[in-house]
Amino acid sequence: MEFFVLLVATGLVSGAAYGMIAMGFALIYKATGVVNFAQGELVMLTAYIAFSIATSFELSFFPLLLVTIPIAMVIGLLLERIFIRPMLGEPVFAIVMVTIGLAVIIRGVTIMIWGPDPFEFPGLPTTVIYLGSLPFYPAQLYALGALAVLVLAAWAFLNRSRVGIAMRAVAANEKAALLMGIGVPRIHALAWSLSSAIAAVAGILFAANFKLGPDLWFQGLKSFPAVILGGLDSVIGAAIGGLVIGVIENMAQGYLGQGLREIAGFVVIVLVLMIRPYGLFGEREIERV
Amino acid sequence: MRTGHFKESYASLVALNDSHVVWAWTAVLLAGLLALPLFAGNYPLSLASAALIAVVGAVGLNLLTGTTGLISIGQSGFLAIGAYTNGLLLADYDWPLWATMPAAGILSALISLLVGIPSLRLKGLYLAITTLAFAFIVTHIILYAEDITHGPNGVFLPKVTAFGFDLSRDRPFFYFTLAFTILAILLALNLSRTRIGRAWMAIRDHDIAARVMGIDLVRYKLLAFMISSFIVGIAGALMSLQIRFVNTDVFGLILSIEALAMIILGGLGSIAGAVLGAVFLSLLPEVIRLAFETFGDPSSTTYTTYVYEIRGIAYGVVIVAFLRFKPEGLIGLWRDAKRYWTNWPLAY
Repeated sequence: MEFFVLLVATGLVSGAAYGMIAMGFALIYKATGVVNFAQGELVMLTAYIAFSIATSFELSFFPLLLVTIPIAMVIGLLLERIFIRPMLGEPVFAIVMVTIGLAVIIRGVTIMIWGPDPFEFPGLPTTVIYLGSLPFYPAQLYALGALAVLVLAAWAFLNRSRVGIAMRAVAANEKAALLMGIGVPRIHALAWSLSSAIAAVAGILFAANFKLGPDLWFQGLKSFPAVILGGLDSVIGAAIGGLVIGVIENMAQGYLGQGLREIAGFVVIVLVLMIRPYGLFGEREIERV
Repeated sequence: MRTGHFKESYASLVALNDSHVVWAWTAVLLAGLLALPLFAGNYPLSLASAALIAVVGAVGLNLLTGTTGLISIGQSGFLAIGAYTNGLLLADYDWPLWATMPAAGILSALISLLVGIPSLRLKGLYLAITTLAFAFIVTHIILYAEDITHGPNGVFLPKVTAFGFDLSRDRPFFYFTLAFTILAILLALNLSRTRIGRAWMAIRDHDIAARVMGIDLVRYKLLAFMISSFIVGIAGALMSLQIRFVNTDVFGLILSIEALAMIILGGLGSIAGAVLGAVFLSLLPEVIRLAFETFGDPSSTTYTTYVYEIRGIAYGVVIVAFLRFKPEGLIGLWRDAKRYWTNWPLAY
């Protein structure tokens, strides 16, 4: 029983990282209809930038977040303006391929700047905190807390703010939204900058929990199961999906066998998609001819 | 000089090749390729063989993604299946080469049904992600099924001969791959002229409309998966013969991206495009290496330190630039050049 609880707890922690990255995917998909394959690379890039800031100015955790998030948002805006905006009106597949190309570019550039060796991420205490009998590192608790904050913020933003509602309108019907006077390109840019802000939070916390290495981009791909489980167009579903996938992966590792962690999530999405091809919380698309 | 396309009968619409000029140029190209080993050294020949293998893989993927419109990021998975089947049957079970090559294709085709069946309900991006998941699952299964696949140790291929020629030498191997490349291209060209090929194109253009017209979506989509994976499996087998040491690191995600980049760069849905794109992208790293080396010592050491990164960046830039400025790909450039040639001095 204790083993089970421990698996769930550590699963939730790694799931929190998946959940945050998945929220970034879902946000961009919701607003623009594009799966941003470069989301994992954004996480990596912002984490490395945060690392450089943290080591050169010796910032502690919260100031670091406050400095990195605006930088990440600017990066998101720039990427959208340079790579995605010119593709407006092209088929979705073409835009997705551009994000794949972008992903490869960011990955290469990051490794060329910071080198292939992993770093220890500074700035967070490493004293173990006990909740009941479960040991946690502070960074792990921060990750769970950050996911909760982001979910609340995303819910409030999408349901209570004018811009958020405009974003949902764009997601529902781009043409109608344009006719109602919503600046669709602006909403797209906003989605990109918000999702890279989320990527920055996820990246910093992931790097603080584990190590900051050039394979951090891979977390982006590993978050796909979470997005699919939640449904590509459901931001909050993606967060829940992340937690679920984290726990499932840990269970597979703990009870079924070493190494199954890597593919458990992917097996789950193949199964889920066979039963509900639009994800668990996703919106069903009905086509009429 | 031809000034346009003049099709006067239905037969000419589905002809394999519509003019004598094209036949003549094809013959010249083929003669050039056959004569290449006579004057090229070992290194250029091995590059050429690698490019030909890429052509086989790209032609296979093009049937699935370009012709049928089913986006696949799982190419590396099928290449791995082909390479491992061929390698293991040769190394551990002493099968003859004439049996292992088809076996590699057939096994990939059968396994492709595992992705094909879920894909029947999926569309677009969901399908792309499922194929990606498939590629991961395949490489991990290979890693963990150590008893059969040697797991992380990889497979060393023994020396293989075909018709008495040693395939570990560059010249016989070049002819061997050339034969498979021609077969793959002919198969793809002929398929697109048949009922199957036209059904695939109809599915790509609008699958619901295709179904209304009486095309059995299940059957044709699965067929696309199987035939495409068969060809890709053969490409994987050829890869294993060339690198002669197969392990899972070879079949990373970048390989799937490279494959997609090839068909996009060449021009989606066109077989000539897939060929052009594959040749272009597989020779690109070589061009980059030469470029870095011409700038002398510091730049060539940068290149050797960051080979993978620089190659990756180059692929990324090429993909982004083509999608942005020339979405029809290299084949579109070629068409434009032809049109310019015939219409000059008029623009159109």
